[in-house]
Amino acid sequence: MNIFLFCVMVSLTILIGAYLYRVLQGPTIFDRLLGHNGISTKAIILLIVMGIYFDRVDMFIDISIGYALLNLVGALAIAKYLEQKGHP
Amino acid sequence: MGILSIIFIVAGLFFLIVAAIGVIRFPDVYSRSHAVSLTDSLGAFLMLVGIALHEGLSINMLKILVVLILLYILNPVIAHATVRAALRSGLKPWQKGDS
Amino acid sequence: MIFTFEIPLLLLMLVTAAGAILVKDLMSAVLLLGSYSFFLSLVWAWLGAVDVAFVEAVVGAGLATVLFLLTLFGTAPKDTRLRRPPPSLTTLIVFPLLGILLLYAASDIPGFGDPNSPANIHISPTYLERSFQDTHTPNVVTAVLMDYRSLDTMVETVVIFASGIACALLLRRHGK
Repeated sequence: MNIFLFCVMVSLTILIGAYLYRVLQGPTIFDRLLGHNGISTKAIILLIVMGIYFDRVDMFIDISIGYALLNLVGALAIAKYLEQKGHP
Repeated sequence: MGILSIIFIVAGLFFLIVAAIGVIRFPDVYSRSHAVSLTDSLGAFLMLVGIALHEGLSINMLKILVVLILLYILNPVIAHATVRAALRSGLKPWQKGDS
Repeated sequence: MIFTFEIPLLLLMLVTAAGAILVKDLMSAVLLLGSYSFFLSLVWAWLGAVDVAFVEAVVGAGLATVLFLLTLFGTAPKDTRLRRPPPSLTTLIVFPLLGILLLYAASDIPGFGDPNSPANIHISPTYLERSFQDTHTPNVVTAVLMDYRSLDTMVETVVIFASGIACALLLRRHGK
């Protein structure tokens, strides 16, 4: 059961690597923004799985909520900026 | 850990892998946004439902459900904002026959 | 546990940091720094320092990204591409030497979670045992921050307040 959770965490990390390829490679800035959004989703899920793995979900879940809200603020700020300035 | 939650987590992982393949393989930002918003939200939904089932009825399960609802609302909102910014700044959609 | 989980996270961090240096565009560098903060905060959470992870998530991924964006919004022209000169010979010689020196010094640090390290023998048990009699505060972290190191914390708060005022002054909108 712990081994199953560990396998889930490792596969989530590999998925983060796939999104990171898009962030590093992406031809336009919008591709990078989408990849960043995907990375933050995976990071939120990874934090909760980590909490289950350590049996301390009550500590880790609060960071996840904070992540989810802050991610919205940052991504919307970047999108507004790009909408007004035009893509480089 | 119940068999039901394992099934949910594996199904969510499958959808997340499909979304990652889509993000790598699709040709432009408009098609990639489908992978990020639709498939990714479904994968995260299934995975968090599996984790909440494992956690059982408690305050932590309620918080996991809050994260689930936040992700399910905010993920498409961010993808929509990105695509709208791309469209307004004049990025042309990919057509058949482009590189 | 056969292999430790922080190694793939640290590899991702390394790739992100190198990408943030090598990328040709300021906006992309800001985005990559946000991803870097995510990975750093995951590493902190894996090592058990949840409060540090929370601060890293709030400040690094949320606040710093927005501050960088506001700065770009206030200063940058349309063209945000980076032009950097090639590194000088001194840089190429001094910084690898500094890295080797730091790695050599790091080999003397006690291992992670070592029960025989000096911090785990003297300091932590003393704080855990005596903090309630000294300060009558049930939370040890609060006792250390607010009682044993209260002057330190106060001046830190003053520094953060001053930097916040400076940011607000620099980024304010001029009157309409």
